[in-house]
Amino acid sequence: MASEFELSRNITIGQYVPTDSFIHRLDPRIKLLVFTILVLAIALNTSYLGNALGLLLAIYLFWASKIPISYGLSGIKPAIPFIIILAVLQLIFQGNVFSGGTVFFEYGFILITSESIRLVIVSAVRFVEIILLSSVLTLSTSTTDLTHAIQSLLSPLKKIKFPVHEISLIITIAIRFVPTFAIEMEKMMKAQASRGADFGSGEWWRIIQRTKDMLPIIIPLFNIALSRAEDLILAMESRCYTPGNDRSSYSVYQSIGRDYIVLVIGLLISALLLFYHFPF
Amino acid sequence: MKGSLSVRNIVIAGVLGAVAILLGVTRLGYIPVPTAAGNATIMHIPAIIGGIMQGPVVGAIVGIIFGVSSFLNATVPLFKDPLVAILPRIFIGVVAWLVYVGIRRRSEYLAIGTAAFLGTLTNTVLVLTMAVIRGYMGAEVAWTVAITSGIPEAIVGTIVTLAVVLAWKQIGKGKKSKISEDL
Repeated sequence: MASEFELSRNITIGQYVPTDSFIHRLDPRIKLLVFTILVLAIALNTSYLGNALGLLLAIYLFWASKIPISYGLSGIKPAIPFIIILAVLQLIFQGNVFSGGTVFFEYGFILITSESIRLVIVSAVRFVEIILLSSVLTLSTSTTDLTHAIQSLLSPLKKIKFPVHEISLIITIAIRFVPTFAIEMEKMMKAQASRGADFGSGEWWRIIQRTKDMLPIIIPLFNIALSRAEDLILAMESRCYTPGNDRSSYSVYQSIGRDYIVLVIGLLISALLLFYHFPF
Repeated sequence: MKGSLSVRNIVIAGVLGAVAILLGVTRLGYIPVPTAAGNATIMHIPAIIGGIMQGPVVGAIVGIIFGVSSFLNATVPLFKDPLVAILPRIFIGVVAWLVYVGIRRRSEYLAIGTAAFLGTLTNTVLVLTMAVIRGYMGAEVAWTVAITSGIPEAIVGTIVTLAVVLAWKQIGKGKKSKISEDL
């Protein structure tokens, strides 16, 4: 029962495993860029061989960053039942949509073809790949580095008047406030529960009732969030923060040789995944 | 774009983004309802509120934050696809803002409620459309999900948004920083 109120424990945002490996020392800008391109390439690849390559790459990156792979697998574990249910559903119902290839099995509306089997396997493997890749990125890069990287990667957009600095400030505020709100929520849920509040034990068909049960925590949450926002606005304005002004940065990133090598390798792998026609 | 992101817009977008992330990671954003999915999500509500309170830019930014966080936290392959998880979420706040501004003159309550209802439906419809386009489910399955889970979600979304926005409008009177208005 007590664990119901332990919110801040489950929050892994900003979790960082300092092993000072090769991957950790890479320029965060390059890391983020290569990650984004790789994920897009993997998301668009539909061949067995391409996804096997992606999986191997993800496992290699874990090994190279010296982070125990259990960190990545812990993200997959709760998902296994979903993956299996979804795979079965796709297998049963998708044959008619992806009817290409050889027909293996046909009974009534159930149609299993080589294309629908491909869809099932590839989407499951793709899921594992993306989880592993995104955990390598977030576990080996601190939040500060990530937001700085986002800011400097988006900086060419300044030319078209895109508010790059403002966007990265928004991201920083968002990440900064998650733990704060989690703590506030914990306090609030305990306070409400000690006054006899009942979270979601009403009959299951009464949607409105069950929603109303959640209101005693949801409304204060938004109110706390918005009143903290007002405080922050006042604090920033009274310090004369002006959006859109040019600013210099405390930390300046310098890409060196190995960063460019990683960038080239990442681009080559992505191009391979995107444009090469894999035989399987 | 320079004028459109004031200090207020930046901070409100950031804070609502934090709420969206929090609702996702703590599973508080899932209200159990009798549908196939078993849950109605309320994680898109910060995007709707951002749209209603601060306009389309803030709504879209909160939507993107919600999308990225649902992409990173996803436990189903469907939402590990950036095209399904992130892209459709941009439009939630924008639609909510358009609806709100369109109806506001007739009745504030009606405007907030309708904006929340249609904003939620935007989320459902666009996500399912992308899911069908990307081949995660067939059109029949998508229609079933849209009806069985989209409608309860829209009801839940309307109630929560109305409650939150109206409560804030009551409490928040006189709390606003006036500095930016003087500038």
